[in-house]
Amino acid sequence: MRPPTMDLALSGLVKSFGESTAVDNVTLRIAAGELVALLGPSGCGKTTTLRMIAGLVQPTSGEVLIGGSRITHVPVHKRNIGMLFQNYALFPHMTVAQNVAFGLQMRRLRQSELREKVETALAMVQLKEYADRLPAALSGGQQQRVALARAVVIEPALLLLDEPMGALDKNLRENMQFEVRQIQKRLGITAVLVTHDQEEAMTMADRVVVMRDGRLEQVGTPKEVYESPVSRFVASFIGVSNFIQGSVVAADTTGTKMRLVCGTEALVSETGVTDGERLLSIRPESVMLRVATPGETPGLNEVIATVEHVVFKGQTTHVHMRMRDGATLLSNLSGTVASRLLPSLGAGTDVIASWSADRARVVLDS
Amino acid sequence: MTSARLSGGGGFVTYTAAMAILLFIVAPLAVIVALSVSELNFATFPPKGFTLAWYAKVLSDAAFRHSFVVSILIALGATTISLCLGLPAAYALDRWKVPSAGVIRTLLLSPMILPILITGLALLKLFSQTRMRDASINLLIGHILVTLPYVVRTITVSLELVDRTLEEAALTLGASPVRAFVRVTVPQLVPGIAAGCLFAFMISFDDYPISMWLGDAEYVPLPVYLHDSLTRLFDPSIAATSSLMILTGILAVVGLEKIVGLRRAMGV
Repeated sequence: MRPPTMDLALSGLVKSFGESTAVDNVTLRIAAGELVALLGPSGCGKTTTLRMIAGLVQPTSGEVLIGGSRITHVPVHKRNIGMLFQNYALFPHMTVAQNVAFGLQMRRLRQSELREKVETALAMVQLKEYADRLPAALSGGQQQRVALARAVVIEPALLLLDEPMGALDKNLRENMQFEVRQIQKRLGITAVLVTHDQEEAMTMADRVVVMRDGRLEQVGTPKEVYESPVSRFVASFIGVSNFIQGSVVAADTTGTKMRLVCGTEALVSETGVTDGERLLSIRPESVMLRVATPGETPGLNEVIATVEHVVFKGQTTHVHMRMRDGATLLSNLSGTVASRLLPSLGAGTDVIASWSADRARVVLDS
Repeated sequence: MTSARLSGGGGFVTYTAAMAILLFIVAPLAVIVALSVSELNFATFPPKGFTLAWYAKVLSDAAFRHSFVVSILIALGATTISLCLGLPAAYALDRWKVPSAGVIRTLLLSPMILPILITGLALLKLFSQTRMRDASINLLIGHILVTLPYVVRTITVSLELVDRTLEEAALTLGASPVRAFVRVTVPQLVPGIAAGCLFAFMISFDDYPISMWLGDAEYVPLPVYLHDSLTRLFDPSIAATSSLMILTGILAVVGLEKIVGLRRAMGV
């Protein structure tokens, strides 16, 4: 099985339902063999975007191109796509083998070739011995693997994944994520994954597209969107972050200087930031703590905060604090640091929280 | 779907209530069946002795046989036509954006709500005014009117239960919309179609209020025949006729069970 790898392009895609716009001018290029995750809260337009790629929803305007050719008006059944659904969508009246064979029958394959391909596909998902069972006799994970075999056996130009792990429990989900990713990589199929689970997007995707209110908020590798979020929305949707209000007072090619509301200043190594009211975003694992000496004032890249409560999480210890302006601050201390600091971090203790210049980001407050 | 047993106080109440209801429904029928084998010349309970003579008498009666055939043919005709009209109607109303679908749906189901006796009288008036004299056609039309709502209702329910992503999955796999419907949707609908047909058949076979108005000397459906014989003489042959009607119903249910499985058909 070697499907032709094709790239996918979305150009100015818009979908309106009456007055409301579900997808608003989405333009995106997905390279051949790449897996891109559309990530966002429910109602952000990610599913509608996927359904437009599939052809199940007709866009109000804009184009969908596979391998350079326009397929915007090609009906679903002529697009050659494989799709996984959250509820698996296996045909309940057909056996596992018949389910997998369905797409091949639609392509009028010779019986011998068909049987061989079904067998190979079922072997690929390790379900060969379940060929004659009905889907209802399989577990959720097995059903989704059958659906995967059924989707890839037709050698689709695109693999579309509509929250395919949503109904699986945590352990199974992680296995399936790995398995789907392995098969997608091996076959080199261009794939689009829709998910609201940021962890799933991070583990599976080459690139993550964060969507919000029908628009693309940020596009980048998982590392990029995690480490350099552009907005408060992205920073808090992907992982957890601390936000300190402030304003940019100086920005040049060496970095950015911010004055924070709590009175101190911050130097950030990020460049190219425009002036104005901004937020400083710092991931909890980048916040370092030390107990403040009485009367101590915080310096550069530091704020003073009061410990509210400490939660032991095993590998890390979460220290919840409140800054002088009333905003919360969270620090995740690793095991060794925590065991050294913890005895002195009772509730009410004043601490100096600090971070290094390259671990903080200036983001928009939106 | 489930074969688990209820237990505890709730289980006791449930099973007792179910048994009571079953007894309430079955007991009178059992009395009829018991009467039909009584050796006495009058229908009295408890029956005395055992004989199949009343059955022999009924089955040898040409009028009964004719009525039986008339009723079966009308029931089969009404069921078939109700299905041919009801399946497309239910599908269109459920899947397409039909203008004022709600009104159409209510109209389709209205014969279920209106008093059938009045519907029959109205039909008789209509047919006589339009000089439609063929009782067989009139009976068929009248019966379709009462059976159609049941077919539409059961098919609509199963259509609503069919997962639409199945059709979408079939489309993505390369099936045209028509093939997706035939290969994937229709097999999911079979139980609903079967249940609808069973309802339609039994309601038509059992119908008195419509048949009473629309039958004539040649076309006497079985319930009308039964009622006529009853007014003449109440002997055990009436009970035998009734028992044969019950048997027809049982055969229809068993037949359905054999073909599609009744549990599936009733959606349980």
